[in-house]
Amino acid sequence: MMKQGIVNRLLIAAAIVPAIFLLSFAAISVREVKDFSLKNVDGAMVSLKDYPNAKGFIIVFTCNHCPFAQLYYKRLNELNAKYAAKGVPLLAISSTDTINYEDDSFEKMVLKAKREQLNFPYLYDNTQQVAKDFHAQKTPHAYVIWKVDGKWVVKYSGAIDDNGAHAELANNHYVAAAIDELLAEKEVSIKDTKSIGCQISFRK
Amino acid sequence: MSLKSIFMGLALGLAASVSYGQYNTLHIPDTLSGTTFNLNMRDSFVQFRTGNQTITAGINGAFWGPTLFFNKGDSVHMNVRNYLNDTTTLHWHGFHLPAVMDGGPHQTIPPGAIWRPYWKVTNNASTYWYHPHLHMSTEKQLIEGLGGFIIVRDAAEAALALPRTYGIDDIPLALTSRSFDASNAFTSTSAYGDYMVVNGTMNPQVSLPKQYVRLRILNAEMERGYNLGFSDNRTFYVIGNDGGLLDAPVPVTRVKLLVGERIEILVNLTGDAVGSSIDLKAYNAGFPLGWPGGEPGTTGPFGSLLNNINFNILHINVAAATTGAITALPSSLVSNTYLTAGDATVTRTLNVTDGTPGRPFYFDHANFDLATINHTLQLNTVEKWTVVNNNVFGHSFHIHDIQFKIISRSSGPVNAYESGWKDSYYLGINETVSFVAKFDDYADDIHPFMYHCHMAPHEDGGLMGQFVVRDATGVNNTIKDPADFKVYPNPANDRIYFSFNDPTMQAYYVTITNAVGRTLYMLPRPHLADGIDISKFAQGNYFVQLTDEATKKVITKHFIKQ
Ligand SMILES: [Cu+2]
Repeated sequence: MMKQGIVNRLLIAAAIVPAIFLLSFAAISVREVKDFSLKNVDGAMVSLKDYPNAKGFIIVFTCNHCPFAQLYYKRLNELNAKYAAKGVPLLAISSTDTINYEDDSFEKMVLKAKREQLNFPYLYDNTQQVAKDFHAQKTPHAYVIWKVDGKWVVKYSGAIDDNGAHAELANNHYVAAAIDELLAEKEVSIKDTKSIGCQISFRK
Repeated sequence: MSLKSIFMGLALGLAASVSYGQYNTLHIPDTLSGTTFNLNMRDSFVQFRTGNQTITAGINGAFWGPTLFFNKGDSVHMNVRNYLNDTTTLHWHGFHLPAVMDGGPHQTIPPGAIWRPYWKVTNNASTYWYHPHLHMSTEKQLIEGLGGFIIVRDAAEAALALPRTYGIDDIPLALTSRSFDASNAFTSTSAYGDYMVVNGTMNPQVSLPKQYVRLRILNAEMERGYNLGFSDNRTFYVIGNDGGLLDAPVPVTRVKLLVGERIEILVNLTGDAVGSSIDLKAYNAGFPLGWPGGEPGTTGPFGSLLNNINFNILHINVAAATTGAITALPSSLVSNTYLTAGDATVTRTLNVTDGTPGRPFYFDHANFDLATINHTLQLNTVEKWTVVNNNVFGHSFHIHDIQFKIISRSSGPVNAYESGWKDSYYLGINETVSFVAKFDDYADDIHPFMYHCHMAPHEDGGLMGQFVVRDATGVNNTIKDPADFKVYPNPANDRIYFSFNDPTMQAYYVTITNAVGRTLYMLPRPHLADGIDISKFAQGNYFVQLTDEATKKVITKHFIKQ
């Protein structure tokens, strides 16, 4: 068992390194994403098509356990409060491998949504497929997607802003700025930043 | 000190660390002592620079870990919990212990699992450390900040008039450096960081009392070597190497410290005025190519703002003496009985090969392979190992399991300051170094020990090999019934117990996994007489995988937690 485990780990390790490498260099500035159907913490299934009047969405990959992701719950509530009314609701998605991270189980997501009084859906990406489709790398990793000719196109990918621990010291509010530009029918000036937080580890 | 206060301390201490010349108070790692140590490895973040925080990983904190105090002779039990978003391992660098407890690349801890190694501390009083050792991820996990000091105390050291008030006149210094990208994330583009980081503090200063002070210095770098000295070129005294005190203090004005090495020094501040200051510095200017950090460039894969210059490590402000100050240098320390070349009955030679530009270094043309045992040693044998580096760059050779004695350097005499017990040493460019060591106490045919270059990019690149220590006399050829065991009660509420069909059967390894395959416990050679606590497990199905000590056969049993 030990010998075999050793060999398996070697193969796994050899496979992981290039995978991470590819992800971190994935081109994501102009890209279409598919709709999905994920379970919300209230038990209902949620899809983009459930929002026929949405102009766009803020999609945030986050999770319960990551300390850097935890810094942003309040800001996510504020973003949703401001932009849902303008046709750009926020959907948060947890794609963590719940086999390894008990704290990110669906039951604990339900508790977290209550405790943080989240005003937006908090969706459970059990298979991690949606995170893979988006190329999400960290928690939090934010996307602004916009409806273009009936398709959902990624207009922004990366960090929510540029200061995790001190919201008041942030100089760039990337997500808000991208939506403001899109609502004003302008080109997004900063389309892509590095997402900062805990690595989303994908199940093999 | 709570976890939170440690983190806040770090965050605040580092918050103002931007403008050059403005010092930050050196962080002294929190301490843990006793015989049971709970170490929680987590992702975190630290305010290293103005602007965004840097994503880090720490042990019981945000960056670096607590200093563990062991007493020689104690049995220490470690509860290592991996909350990281990655598999890891935790290696007890410098310790003589069973290979299955060593925390090398084979003792992987999956996310969410608890690993419980334990061993009897037989090492001498000295400064050791712990750090991750996951093959091909060691550099990444070290950069994130995982690691910590271990200080061993023993009677011989306690009998000496040496400074030993931790954080006052006995200061641990983990030397490393980091580079940042525009978002303040750590980068590993170069093997060398741009900014000095000591115990997690950038541009640090410390107040030290006007007396003899003891600095326990660890090179916790990825690759850079340090040529240590003081800004006034004063003489200081090396009292200990990696694995224990020297026979007597060795006066020096410069000392080289390579990755993984530790040195304990005494610095005489009795003649310094209160309010004056001196700097501990790296005198790295003028080194030729081959000295790690001697490269001339500031950019590219080996570039750094600290390359080939003299730079500050620690700004020291002299404060009033403490009561009970040590004001004299001991003339002698401990009496070591070292092995000599004549004691060795087996000799081995390793060559550093390959490493042509853009290619990794190997030992004897073989990339490290987790499934290959490169050397098989016999228990209780004294061996002489010779490592030959007729190659393009220097290295820091490290071997697990034992402390050795360096007996020769082809470049000249062995330096007096490295004449003690060592587990790591500088192997210069075009140099051959030999050491002798006895491989005693711990035999294991399955789990190997490592030898490798401690420069993380070299180690991750494959400059590593592994050996097993075999006990030829311990082979048991008696034919027995196949090993088997029962878990009871089943279903269980609080504890599960083990009953073996053969009372001499022993568990080499026990892992417990849940129904979806998450590993909860990894227990090398567990004591099973009192069972295993499962009271905190969720209700459901679990599997116990037990590896039989004698046959290494794995037997799996199922139980239900009520
Ligand atoms: Cu090396």
